[in-house]
Formats: sequence, C-alpha cells, structure tokens
Amino acid sequence: MLPYIARRLLWSVFLLLVITFLTYLIFYKLPSADPALLRAGRQPTPELVASIRETLGLDKPWYTQYFLYMQKLVLHFDFGESFQNNVKVRDELFDRLPATMSLALGGAVVWLVAGIGIGIISAVFRGTLLDRFAMTGALIAISAPVYWLGLVSIYLFSRDLGVIAPIFDATGLYIPPQENPIQWADKLLLPWLVLATAYAAVYARFLRSNLVEVLGEDYIRTARAKGLGERRVIFRHGVRSAVTPIVTLFGIDIGVLFGGAILTETVFNIPGVGRLAFDSIQKSDLPIVQGTVLIASLAIVLANLVVDIAYAFIDPRVRY
Amino acid sequence: MRRLKMSWLLTALLVALALVAAGCGGDDGEESGGKKGTPVTGGGKVAEGKQGGDVTFLAAGDIDYADPGQTYYTFGFMVAGATHKTLYSFSPESPEKAIPDLAEGEPEISDDNKSVTVTLRKGVKFSPPVNREVQAKDVKYAFERSFTANVPSGYATSYFSELEGAPTEPGKYQEIPGLVVDPADPYKLTLKLTKPVAPRVVAAMVMPITAPVPQEYAEKFDKKSPSTYDQYVVATGPYMIKNDAEGKLVGRKPGKRVEMIRNPNWKKDAIDDFRPAFLNSITIEEGNDDLTVASRRTLRGQQLMCCDAGQPPIPILRQALTKFKDQLGRTSGGGTRWIAMNSTEKPFDDVNVRKAVIAGFDRDSLRLTRGGAEVGPIANHWLPPGIPGHDESGGLEGDPKFDFMKNPKGDLALAAEYFKKAGFKSGKYEGKEKILTIATNADPGKQTAAVAQAQFEKLGFKLNFRSVPQDTLYTKFCGVPKAKVVICPNVGWFKDFTDPESMLQPTFSGDAIKEQGNVNWTQLKVPEIDQAMRDGALIPVGDERNQKWAEINKMIVDQAPGIPFSWDDSFSLVSKDLKGVINVYSTTWDLSFTSLK
Repeated sequence: MLPYIARRLLWSVFLLLVITFLTYLIFYKLPSADPALLRAGRQPTPELVASIRETLGLDKPWYTQYFLYMQKLVLHFDFGESFQNNVKVRDELFDRLPATMSLALGGAVVWLVAGIGIGIISAVFRGTLLDRFAMTGALIAISAPVYWLGLVSIYLFSRDLGVIAPIFDATGLYIPPQENPIQWADKLLLPWLVLATAYAAVYARFLRSNLVEVLGEDYIRTARAKGLGERRVIFRHGVRSAVTPIVTLFGIDIGVLFGGAILTETVFNIPGVGRLAFDSIQKSDLPIVQGTVLIASLAIVLANLVVDIAYAFIDPRVRY
Repeated sequence: MRRLKMSWLLTALLVALALVAAGCGGDDGEESGGKKGTPVTGGGKVAEGKQGGDVTFLAAGDIDYADPGQTYYTFGFMVAGATHKTLYSFSPESPEKAIPDLAEGEPEISDDNKSVTVTLRKGVKFSPPVNREVQAKDVKYAFERSFTANVPSGYATSYFSELEGAPTEPGKYQEIPGLVVDPADPYKLTLKLTKPVAPRVVAAMVMPITAPVPQEYAEKFDKKSPSTYDQYVVATGPYMIKNDAEGKLVGRKPGKRVEMIRNPNWKKDAIDDFRPAFLNSITIEEGNDDLTVASRRTLRGQQLMCCDAGQPPIPILRQALTKFKDQLGRTSGGGTRWIAMNSTEKPFDDVNVRKAVIAGFDRDSLRLTRGGAEVGPIANHWLPPGIPGHDESGGLEGDPKFDFMKNPKGDLALAAEYFKKAGFKSGKYEGKEKILTIATNADPGKQTAAVAQAQFEKLGFKLNFRSVPQDTLYTKFCGVPKAKVVICPNVGWFKDFTDPESMLQPTFSGDAIKEQGNVNWTQLKVPEIDQAMRDGALIPVGDERNQKWAEINKMIVDQAPGIPFSWDDSFSLVSKDLKGVINVYSTTWDLSFTSLK
C-alpha cells in the first residue's frame, strides 16, 4: 500500500501545482479589480499607483509573479502577504482553519447520525407512511438553499431575533473551543444543523436506496434462512455493505467543507476559510485567494486519499 | 388521492414557513417619539451621557487601515476619530466648523496665503508603549512618511502637494523642507507652501494624515515595504486598539474584529479635550454581511451599533423611519450620486444630447432605487447640502435657469427640443450604435442601473449593457479613460472635508483626468471651467470663495456632464439602550460621543 500512497501524494502535488497556476491565470486574464488602484485610495496620482504596483510586485509579468510565488511557497512554506492589509496569508489561514473545521466536523457528526439513521429506517420500513414522510422531508431539505435556510432559522430560532423558539445563540462572534467549549458549541449548534440538513437528506436518500438494494440480495436471504436475527442481518450484513459508497461521498464532502463552507460561514458570520475566500475575491486580494484555493484543494485531495485507504479496511475485496 | 393530499400538506407547510419568515419583522416594537432620525438619537444634548459601558458595532467589512497615514474611507475615519487627535476636527457639537483638536488654537495664515503655522496643545501623550508627549516633530513626521512609497497615502499629493520640497512621486523617506518646527518652540509647526493655497490646506487639516506619528517608534515599521505600522499604531485619542507590550495590535483581526479600549494616557481634563468618551470599550464585529440581520439585531438587541455600509437595507430603513426613530441617526451624506455620460465619446460629445437626456430622465425613479424621498432630496447640481456653495448654487432646487433640470420626473417635450437642436428631427436619439454601459452588479446600484437602462432606451438609445463588481467598475472601466466607457450609471463623490473645491475639482476639472484611477468620469474638459477652478483655489474660506465655487458649479451644470439624482442622507442604527451621536464629518457614529442611556 505504501507505494500506492506515495504515488497518490506525488500526483496530488502535481494537481496542486496545476491549480495554483490556473488560479493565477484566471486572476490575470479575467476582468477583476486592480489591487494597486484599490489600495491607492480615491484619487491617486499615477506615481502613487506605480509605486504601489512595484511594492506589491504587480509590475512584473504574471508568470514571473507566479514563479516568485511558487518559489516562496515551496522553499519557505510562505504564502505571501495580503494585498490589502499586508498580513501574512499563512497566519491568516491558520487563524481561520479552526473555525472552519469546527463547523465542518460538527456538521458532519449531525448529518452522519441523522442521514444514516433516517436512511436505515426508511429502507427497513420501505413503502410505509414513515418512509414517505422521511423521504419527502429529505427532498425538501435538499431543495432548500443553505443561505435561505440559514436566514430563516436565524429569524425563527436565534436568541436575539427568533420569533418562534429563540433557543440558539447563533449570531455574534465565533468563540474558539479552548476559550469556552460550552459557548463554542452553543454558537455553532444552529449552523451545524443548517449545514447538516441538506447533507443528511442526501445521505439518507442514498443509503436508503443502497440498503433497499442490498436487502434484496441472495446472501441476505441466506443469512435470514440461517436464522440470524433481523437486527444482525440489517446492521452486520446489510448496512455494512450499503454504507461503502457513503464513505466516498463523505470523504469528498468533508474535504470540500474543510476548504470553507462559504454560505454557512457567511450567513452565521463564522470567520472561517470560506468567508476569507469570499472576502478576498471581493477585494481582488490574490495572495489570499490563492491561499484559500490551495487549502481547499489540499483538503479535497487528502480527504480522497484517506477515503481510498479506508476502503481497504471497509471492503475486504479492495487491495492496493 | 394520497399523493394529492401529500402535495397539499407540503404546500401548506411551505406557505406556513414563508408566512413565518415574512412575519419576522412584524413585531418590531412600539412607535417612538421623535419626528425622524437626527444626529443624536432620542434628542438631548450631544455631550451628555452616562459614563461606562461596552458596545459592539456590527459591521459588514473591515476598516481600510488603522494607520492614520493610510486610512481614506468613512469606516476607517470613524475609528481614527476615536483613536487619534488630528490638528483640527469636527465635533458633533460643532458640525459646521472644524475646531482645534491637537492644535491649541486657530491656525495662523500668512497674508500671502503661502504659510500656515499651527501650535500644538501641550500634555497630549501617545498611548503605550510610546508613552511620551506629542510634539510638532511628530506631525512633521506624519506628513513626511505619507509621501513615501511604503506609506501610500491616497490624498497626500492631492491636498498637500504644495508643501515646499514635497516629493512629486512616492519614494524613500526624506525630510520635507516646507515643514518647519520652530527651534524655540517644539510645539510650533509651520507649513510653507509653493502656492497661495493655505485656505485649502487648512481645510484639509481635519484629515487623519495630520495625526501625530512618533518617528523613533514607527520608522522601523515604515522601512518595510509596505509599512507595517498599520499593525503597530499608537493612539493619541481617548481610545486605542488593544495592543501588547511591543505595540502589536492584538485587538485587530482583519475581517473579524477591532477591539478598542481606553487609552490610559488620554486625560480629558489635562488636555481639555472636547470628546467626552463615555464608553469603556467598543468592539467592531466584522463579517455581518447580511445587513438585514445586523440591523434587526441592533434594533432589538442591547449595546449594539450598526452599520458600516452607508445605510441599513431600504426595507429596514423605512421601518426604522416610522417605528424606531429614536434608534436612527441621520445626517446629510455629504455627496452626490450621478450617471456619468462620457463627454469625449459619441453621442455625448454634443452638449445638447446630454441636456436632452437629463431633461427626459425620470430622476425620481432613480432616487427610488436608493430609498426614495425619505432618504434625501433629488440632486439638482453638484454641491450637496452642507457643503459651502450649496445655497449659493440655488439650494436644493438649483438655479431655475437650467430648464433641463427643472422636472425631476422627466419632461419628454423639452428633451425632444434638445434632441432637435442636436440634429435629431424625431425628437429622440436616432443613432443605431450600441453604447457601452458598465454598471455594478450589486444592489442597490444594480437597480439604479436597471432603471437608467430603461430610461435611456425610452429616449431612443441602444445600450451595450454590462454588469461587473463595483471595484472592477472603478479600477478597470469607468476610472480608465482608455476603456472608452460611454455611460457609467453608478458613480458618486462624497466629501473629504467641507469645502466645495474638494467636491468639484477631482470630478470635473480637465486637469484632474488621469490614465487610471480617474474620477472625472465624464471626462469634462472645459478650459473656462478649469481656469475658474484654478482661480477659485486661491480664494480664502468665506463668502467670496463660496460664491466663486457656486459659479463654477453652475458652469458645470450648464455643461450637463451627468445626471445627478440623489443627495441621500447617511443613516445608522443603535439599540434602544444607547444614545447614538453622529459625526457630521465622517457621517457615521461618533464613538467618542455615543453613550449608554
């Protein structure tokens, strides 16, 4: 397996290189705001703009800038400084990652528990009112855009604005877990639920359909014929087999979210990587855009690798 | 049948959800007493308030810079106003005239208008870790560093370029010979000028560039390219951004928050500061991108202020104007919004076409996209209320001699007359070419642009209409003459200080046209107007200056370079338990005057 992992890692590095290159290309070739002019204020002189351009290194051709950027990144793990406020991009990213990871991991727990639970119940009670109710609910949850759901949930359930049940402290500054774990969880509970809603619905529908298929297989009938209990048949033989594709899905989803849950972070004002990406795109702050894109790509690449490795343990037929 | 029932159930559920969501704003509190929002919420005296309290300001974005040499936007000015003492300031108690702040008294202007001397107040100290008294050398250094490449000030070369020996382009740090500290009095600074523009220089002394910077502390940061002093700023005002022993601003996390605490070295009585500084701390909570949520939180919550983005969303504002008057701060925005018509490109190189367009335009509809009559008057010329020269220009109505400005609802018959004068016999524009129009893609500017598009088409124009982000609009299209954009529907100019020259010169002088970062969006270049502006710059503050600039204003109106449509006010919100005070200069909350009720 080790050669396989090494191969995958090398391939990932190449992929990341391509992504950074494309980000530069897109930034310079599509019409975006001029960072030097943005920084120069309302009525800059040409000399001032030229001076800022030089200071930020924007006076060089884009491919030279790209080379210099990659040189710093590879040799010093230096992501450069923000065009807007000179802060180190690396510091900014590492400062934001915990909030994003808190949101993603908490949300993942909620959607896995809810999605897998509902999926199993729906599959086991297929065709009943319970199944229809659950799958209709899932359809509604998938259809609801997360920003809409987030705003509505704030207006209904947040402590300072909620009109139905003001029980969640969903607005205000994010509090890191090491500062106050109870407040951390309290502030994130509603964002977790909102973020998890659509994912849980997708997982529930996906698992239900897989499980229904698996429960019709010959080996399940054999297990029942041998006198195994229904619970053992479903969980030991049915769910274990049906859940394998879910692992792939989960790997991609969690990787994407580690790169920033832009909408959820924006609606709930969680200072994570997603919101940083959003803000930096608005301000044409290329070093930060580049940093957030790299983090997102890295998260997806690593998550996929972990999934592939996990496959070998979940499915005995898989060998590398 | 079962399916039908299920779909009904679903529909009912969705309708119920929508109704609940729509009803969220329904129970917003009871009607309050005031007539409408004022600079002081709930009325009362500006400088009276309760001592103490911690307040949170809900903001969408970040301040541009904490460094007084670099900040150049309203939100940055709000923080600078609480953390720095500039030479002169506008107090909420004195909104019309700047009063001495770091300066001890009025500036002494030489008879030839080529020299200004300011004496600094004694006893003003820098916040930790500098902890020493401010002297004239600190203001001198503040100016000098703003002319360097590492501290790119957006306006040093616009308003202070006449300082003797001032660098013409940003470079390495160098002393400016025109800034002279009196060897016998370390508190006295003289600004020597190459041209007799002292009145304008004095007017610009309210800007943060005049806040002192201690050279021995800041120069190690200023040597970096770009300067990192922004992360180590020391204060002279009643508040400071929380820092550590080395001066690093630990209270500033860009995009997250700015924490301001009391400056322990600021002693109100010792320096006779006009700021009461009631609050103990102010935290700016950033990232509240949804201003509807932030506004509602403010209206319902406690110890909250809002918003940094000019004004709350229009539906909330309308609600606040009727139901939450005591929580609404209002002041003139100090600026004009207009649709720029490029006077160098066909068909707007013909003044009659421009006049026809203004005459036929329904400017009231344009203003509706910014909130309608409730948020301010329709602009009829280029000097907004509160700027000297406004009254002399005809006030809100403007000069009646400009018939094409008379009917804000649009006068198609008059428009037809002007079109005929321009050679279009049908009384409408008859050209077949598509006119390049670049608009913003974000509300409310997007709505303004959509209305403008319909109005232009009604008058016979065919537009090549494109939407881009606001920053792209300015830096790649409307602000770049080479881009040859013909119509820019989303431009506006707001005051740097209350002086008519700073409103008209950058935006309508041919001398101000630049290859990039151009704000003379209409590219108006009329020699008579340019000369009148050069002459007007030399007239001292007072009636004569106001009259002169009003005349220039009328000359610009007569050229019809754009369609002015709004002098909207600036609005801000506070929670019920706060007495908010607006600073008319920065047009947002004055953090040094706002207090708990």
